[in-house]
Amino acid sequence: MKNGFTVFVAAFVAFGASWLGLVYGPLKQLGVAKETTVLQLGDKWPVQRTGAATLGLQVYRGNGCAACHTEQVHQTGAANVISITDLGSHKSSDLKDFITSLMVVPELMNCSNAITGNLAGWNGELPKVLYCGAQDTVVSLLGDKLKAVGVKTEPRVITTGTDIARGWGTRQSVAADYLYDSPVQLGNLRAGPDLATIGVRAPDLNWQLQHLYAPRSVVKDSTMPAFRYLFTVQKIGTLSAPDALVLPKAFEPADGYEVVPTPAAKELAAYLVSLKNNAPLYEAPFTPITAAK
Amino acid sequence: MSDETKPCCSSGNGEPTATRSTAPMWIIVVTLVLLFTGGLFLDSHSGWFDKNVYAPYQSSAQLESFQPKSGAQAVLARGKGIYESVCGICHGSDGLGKPGQAPPLAGSEWVMAKGVKRLLHIPLAGVAGVIQVGGKDWNMNMAAMGAALSDDDLAAVLTYVRSSWGNKAGVVTGDDVKSVRAEIGKSPQPMSGDQMMKMPE
Repeated sequence: MKNGFTVFVAAFVAFGASWLGLVYGPLKQLGVAKETTVLQLGDKWPVQRTGAATLGLQVYRGNGCAACHTEQVHQTGAANVISITDLGSHKSSDLKDFITSLMVVPELMNCSNAITGNLAGWNGELPKVLYCGAQDTVVSLLGDKLKAVGVKTEPRVITTGTDIARGWGTRQSVAADYLYDSPVQLGNLRAGPDLATIGVRAPDLNWQLQHLYAPRSVVKDSTMPAFRYLFTVQKIGTLSAPDALVLPKAFEPADGYEVVPTPAAKELAAYLVSLKNNAPLYEAPFTPITAAK
Repeated sequence: MSDETKPCCSSGNGEPTATRSTAPMWIIVVTLVLLFTGGLFLDSHSGWFDKNVYAPYQSSAQLESFQPKSGAQAVLARGKGIYESVCGICHGSDGLGKPGQAPPLAGSEWVMAKGVKRLLHIPLAGVAGVIQVGGKDWNMNMAAMGAALSDDDLAAVLTYVRSSWGNKAGVVTGDDVKSVRAEIGKSPQPMSGDQMMKMPE
């Protein structure tokens, strides 16, 4: 081979470059990912799973759940929102005039149309969204000006997107969420709903088990196959099993029999309940809704 | 203008030449070194991609502008800051208190009370004499440490205390502080635990 050395060097450079770009670069960027902290509270994120839930990830993987379900919430935008929560001693009409008079402030000029548009037709119902947009300076400025005249406002950061509108999450998924997933079950097809926050939407283990055994007993139009092989239908002994499913009449087994989940079903349910990507993080910020006093 | 009148390239003897020659070695070496350092620079700056910035956010500055600045969580963060600098010195960062110095706040019935009047009385007017916390008598004086704090700041601290270290009790608002402060008036009287128990919750 006449040009053996050249061929070797060329191949080495070509493979080396793609290794640098596709393996080393991403590893350097995200491969050293560590626990992050929940915004402002400082709690560790993500939360380590229990043993059963960790095993449940393998059941999820083994049954090919990721073929029809994703675990990634998509977000298309974010906005700084300020809303009036308490009028104080003001009337809504006075306040409207006051806010309109603020529009000469340089920082507010650019969005004066949006703000006055929001106020049009307002007859005093609360909370009233005053501004919803990208500028955090507008929110803090309006908050300060209104606080000075005794009007209470609440600034919020909200996220937007179709997934969020569907109630599948409060913010997009980020790399930190998957720190304890091995392998990560991202999924790429949504024959069923996204499961990134299923532990928030359906936190009841028994609901999860019943749904796995007979999906249409809890979701009428579900297209999910029933995972009956994760359950044992057995004859009731002297006492019924403590973990036997309580099913609606139409889904009950024959008289004298009961449906008992196998360990795999319990692990899978524990895993599903552990999926709660809903904490505000630095890289995925939002203002959580906290219960009022 | 013709080629003859304006020769573009000529060798020493005036005749153009077309021979093969290799690039000087130093150019190759300098180019490789430049490429290598350039690659290192790009790597260390993640090619200007920030690992914290995910679409739809476009820059860390934009992401920064969407960080929540107030609301319930900010109140807790603010309360924590004030607690560490004012209260934590005696009551401890873990809220467990210090024997012979300050009673615990974690699990304290004074902290977890339904009403906040007695609780507010402690930082606003101080404590003098015996106070029973968690079944133990603590006999010591506490100055009106919270009197100098603003209504909102004191409310934030107490909200933090009431929701930390396993404590689960409601929010204290600035208005609560304002009303108790007005009741205590200009000359606060430090009370003992028994005296405070006579007040409504």
